[in-house]
Amino acid sequence: MSRLLLGLMAALPLLAQDARSIVDEAQKRSRADSQRYEGTLEVRDAKRKISTKRWVYERLGSAGEAKAVLKFTAPAEVKGVALLIHNHPDRASDQWMWTPAVARERRIAFQDRRTRFFGTDFTFEDLEERDVDRSTYKLTGEEKLDGALAWKIESTPKAEARSQYTRIALWVRKDTYSFVQAECFAKDKLVRRIRYTDLEKVQNIWTARTLEVHDIERDSRTVMKLEKLQYNIPLAAENFTLQALRREQ
Amino acid sequence: MMLLRLITWPYVRKHMLRCLLTTAGIVLGVAVFVGMHTANQSVLYAFNQTVDKIAGSTQLQVTAGETGFPEEVLERVQSQPDVEVAVPVIEASVQTGLQGQGNLLVLGVDMTGDRSLRDYDLNSTEDATIDDPLVFLAQPDSIILSEQFCQRTGLQMNGKLTMQTMAGPKQFTIRGVMKSGGLASAFGGNLAVMDIYAAQMVFGRGRQFDRVDIALHRGADVNAARARLQTLLGPGLQVDPPSSRGQQFEAMAQIYSMSANITSLFALFIGLFLIYNTFSIAVTQRRSEIGILRALGATQGQIKRLFLIESGIAGLFGSLLGLGLGVLIARGIAGYISSYLGEMYGVAQRAEEVSADPRLLGIALFLGVATSLIAGWIPARSAAGVDPVKALQKGRAQVMSEGENRARKIAALVMLGLGIACVFAGHKPLFFYSGYMLSVLAVLLLTPALCIWLSRLLRPLMKWMRPVEGALAADSLLQAPRRTSGTVAALALSVALVIGLGGIAKSSFEMIREWMDTALNPDLFVTSSESITQRSFRFPYEFGDELRQVEGIEELQAVRTARIVYQGTPVMLVSTNVESIANRVNMKVIEGDRETMYRQVSRGEGVVISDNFALLRRVNTGDMLELLSPTGLLRTKVLGVVADFSDQQGTIMMDRELYRRYWKDDTVNVFRAYLKPGASQSDVRQRLLDRFGAKTRLFVLTNGEIRAFILKITEQWFGLTYVQIFVAVLVAILGIVNTLTVSIADRKRELGVLQAVGALRNQVRHTIWMEALAIGALGLMIGFALGAVHLYYILEITKRDIAGMRLEYRYPIGIALTLLPVMLGAALLSGAGPAESAVRGSLVEALEYE
Amino acid sequence: MILITHLQKLFDGKSRVRALDDVNLHIRKGEMVSLVGPSGSGKSTLLNLIGTLDKPTGGEITLDGQRLSGLTDDQLTQVRRDKIGFIFQFFNLLPSLSCEENVSLPLHLRGWGRKQARDRAIELLDLVGLGKRVEHLPDELSGGERQRVAIARALSVYPPVLLADEPTGNLDTTTGADILGLVRDVHERLGATVLLVTHDRSVAESCPRTITLRDGHVVDDTVRAASR
Repeated sequence: MSRLLLGLMAALPLLAQDARSIVDEAQKRSRADSQRYEGTLEVRDAKRKISTKRWVYERLGSAGEAKAVLKFTAPAEVKGVALLIHNHPDRASDQWMWTPAVARERRIAFQDRRTRFFGTDFTFEDLEERDVDRSTYKLTGEEKLDGALAWKIESTPKAEARSQYTRIALWVRKDTYSFVQAECFAKDKLVRRIRYTDLEKVQNIWTARTLEVHDIERDSRTVMKLEKLQYNIPLAAENFTLQALRREQ
Repeated sequence: MMLLRLITWPYVRKHMLRCLLTTAGIVLGVAVFVGMHTANQSVLYAFNQTVDKIAGSTQLQVTAGETGFPEEVLERVQSQPDVEVAVPVIEASVQTGLQGQGNLLVLGVDMTGDRSLRDYDLNSTEDATIDDPLVFLAQPDSIILSEQFCQRTGLQMNGKLTMQTMAGPKQFTIRGVMKSGGLASAFGGNLAVMDIYAAQMVFGRGRQFDRVDIALHRGADVNAARARLQTLLGPGLQVDPPSSRGQQFEAMAQIYSMSANITSLFALFIGLFLIYNTFSIAVTQRRSEIGILRALGATQGQIKRLFLIESGIAGLFGSLLGLGLGVLIARGIAGYISSYLGEMYGVAQRAEEVSADPRLLGIALFLGVATSLIAGWIPARSAAGVDPVKALQKGRAQVMSEGENRARKIAALVMLGLGIACVFAGHKPLFFYSGYMLSVLAVLLLTPALCIWLSRLLRPLMKWMRPVEGALAADSLLQAPRRTSGTVAALALSVALVIGLGGIAKSSFEMIREWMDTALNPDLFVTSSESITQRSFRFPYEFGDELRQVEGIEELQAVRTARIVYQGTPVMLVSTNVESIANRVNMKVIEGDRETMYRQVSRGEGVVISDNFALLRRVNTGDMLELLSPTGLLRTKVLGVVADFSDQQGTIMMDRELYRRYWKDDTVNVFRAYLKPGASQSDVRQRLLDRFGAKTRLFVLTNGEIRAFILKITEQWFGLTYVQIFVAVLVAILGIVNTLTVSIADRKRELGVLQAVGALRNQVRHTIWMEALAIGALGLMIGFALGAVHLYYILEITKRDIAGMRLEYRYPIGIALTLLPVMLGAALLSGAGPAESAVRGSLVEALEYE
Repeated sequence: MILITHLQKLFDGKSRVRALDDVNLHIRKGEMVSLVGPSGSGKSTLLNLIGTLDKPTGGEITLDGQRLSGLTDDQLTQVRRDKIGFIFQFFNLLPSLSCEENVSLPLHLRGWGRKQARDRAIELLDLVGLGKRVEHLPDELSGGERQRVAIARALSVYPPVLLADEPTGNLDTTTGADILGLVRDVHERLGATVLLVTHDRSVAESCPRTITLRDGHVVDDTVRAASR
């Protein structure tokens, strides 16, 4: 379930894979030391009400060591609101939110990660980078999705991961090793489906430019588009701290 | 049972009005008891309900009295492994300025995660009721209102609502609506939710939280987790289940209960005498009936039982009426208590539902019936003692129970002796309360003897006023002391009750006035809320420097008041610049040396406590106080005791520096400003408002306004007392009406004879008037004396058990003088009806037998 | 039935009054005796003592074989309940109760059930000729009728002894005769022992035995051979 939001995919085909190594390979191929893009987010709820937001995303480091800052740029009401994420290989990530109007950062407590990410259909947990070893995997078959053949893998988060999900079904394209779909289950009930489309090779990394999250229960969809995507650009480590967020005020 | 139907019912039917009057005392006693307690309980219940609703699934809460605590506490709480969810909360009560909507309780919560703990009902299936959570958080003017409130006010999503903030009135945008039910129904929907950090800013709270609400992991042992958290956080923070907030409130409500109990007791006592009186007379009236029954084979036991059952039924009937009336008046009283607590403690609490506790009703019923049975005991005994032979002989009255008078007098004197002994026996509650009871009982038992004695004294006066009628009336009193003494006792009790209640009110007012003269002497008070009891908004300390710049201000004292919990009771902590206070304020020093104690306190070497704190908590100068602060235990010495009426539960005064060190709180509620000589209050006030009014929320109150406010609160506090006085007077009047009605009926024949031998109707009329006046006068005289005793005791009770107020004994002469015409007038009026019926009735009928 | 020996009754007032002094009498079961004498001679006192309403100062009354001295008030009441029926000069009916209720009152005092008491009361009212006046209040009745109700009440438990204190004293001659007839009728039909205090010479003489009291002493005790 790693890198759902920012999922990147690798391309080289391998033989005789077991489920875990497929996921591991997929993660390896998407690895980059840093990343930057401008995102557009559109939420369509059951009443077809649409709200749009834009932000800039920067990440330094990868997987379990990654630090990321997500800064909203539009609409005006939310401009300047930022999210700082510090991932850890061995435990849940630390997340802080910065609200410029009250000049305060707020720590998103561990127990809050199952709540929705600001009215989108993501949860805070979905934003985490997670080490491959925090789940177990099982290959359950192959399916054709969007015209391409994909492995279907069932991933079960280990207890220590304290996930809100009981299992996740993953589809990994056989040709590019990129994630194309994930279905998240809580107590055997499908709660969220995520689709990765507009696959494009950016700086030799297969990247989905469009993500669609469908909250089944609420029948609400969030569509996210990644623009101006760059990998391995120089980013200063001190920008990924709370002090940096405060300084910018 | 059959006897009741055959004997009692026809009698009751014939004397319906009289029977109703007889039970009046019981009705009112039970009603006051039920009404006051039900109101108290309902307010308490409503409070607990609200606490529950606001608490949601919170299992434990971390608080530090009213002072709040630094944000870091949250992370310490979250680090505890038992804790599943821990969320910070800020509460503030805010005026909306909307007509008739009252205050809004604003709950500042962390919107990023709190929702699992409380049922905001925001994630309803059709629609997210917060329009956009990101916008909500990004904009500090965002609030969520309840659907109820929106419907009442016509406000809608994205509409604007103006609320008072630290920076003056400010518009808020409604970015969410809570569905009704759950949290949204607390405070009748007068509830708003906003982001906690926005709330900190808006209410000037700095980096402090009021509370952390905690839900534990499933299956965690709440008590064990509580103990672990308490150890982790130290003694300055309280870790309690949400329900314990009600307990603090209970302490406040308790004072009302005590006063209600005393009044109910008196009303029941009065009821006792009314019933005793009516039954005694009824026994006399029904002598021949009793004689017939005895001749027909009724045993003494049967007769006695018949009368006891009658009094029991009267008691039951009166109690039931009282229960109904009590529940009825409870609603009004509940509203009253709520609004008082709102003013005094800033807890806006409406009791939506007034429901009586079945146990309370049971107790009230028992008290009413028991009182009635006790009252009926002696009449029932004398009914059983009726000699059938004499009863069946015509025209012979039986003089009943001679010698009982002496026994009573002896008992009274013994009680009086014991009562006085109790005063000297020491201060143990047992002695004290028995002394109280014994003295009252002694006076009541002496009443018949006193009646005769005083009637003799009155006789010449009455004779002088009206030679014939006066003498007749006086003789009637002298001949039938049994008939009058019951009424006189009831009347005396009412008068005593009024004197006691009035005395305590008078004394309190005078003491508070004196205290205001010495302690509340600044010219202006600069506050952050419209009322000095509201502490939702606070100034930063530095604001004082700006204020000092204003022309005309000579000296400024920054005061931070906050309730903290001392040994389970909320008490008031006042932190201020003690040195400056010592120079300006001249509160009466009860213990300690004025000079040295203030100097030491200003150096942070100890605290000064209020007199009521000392009395209620049994603390004296030199004792060590253990105060719980968010940073740990503060052991500090009591350096002195002063007369201070700031808070009913007691006040601790400490220096600002010490407070800042331990409570990490640098905010201020009130700046007390003394003006330079010659500066006018209104000019400086205007200057302050001009300079700061636009950018800061501030109110400038003059000395006079503060005094008026305190007097108003005191007045409100005694408001219920006045209701009790009214009840007492009412019972007394009913008592006189009852006795005179009965006594005239009893003497129809005698009055008939009087007319037959040539008395004019007017003479008969005047005789009865004189008698009524005399009864009133007797009741007043004995009541004034009993009132003096009663006042002494309730002042003592107030001092030791209720408010810890050392009130001086001041006999309410004004009230006594007012009672004079009221009671005499009432007596005269209640004599009028019976007098008319006596002269209007047919002479032949009156002289006829049976 | 009634055995009286050395009976004495003193009243303590401003001066001591000897209401009865050394009275000895024996009244057999089923006798009908009239008691005469001037006012204050002790007739009513004697009647009250026999009726257990009052206690003697000295002497002994034995009623149906039971000695009354030494009995407690409750025990005396018990005797009165079971053995004595009272008829008064002023009827002493409770004005608020109907005839039936007045008659059943003593039965209720004995704890009879409502239905049972009512049946007996109606039976008795029939007996005294007031079967049609069951639900009337005493005020709606004539003097004679009231006394009939009182007699019915006195008979409620069919007591062996009937004590009548001037039962005709408050009635006109004709009605008095009627009531006397009724008493005699009851006496004969039920075999009750009747003791009747009267001022009326003719009433007294209509009884088989007449006892005359004066100043607390029995001065005459006449037994007539045949009645009427």
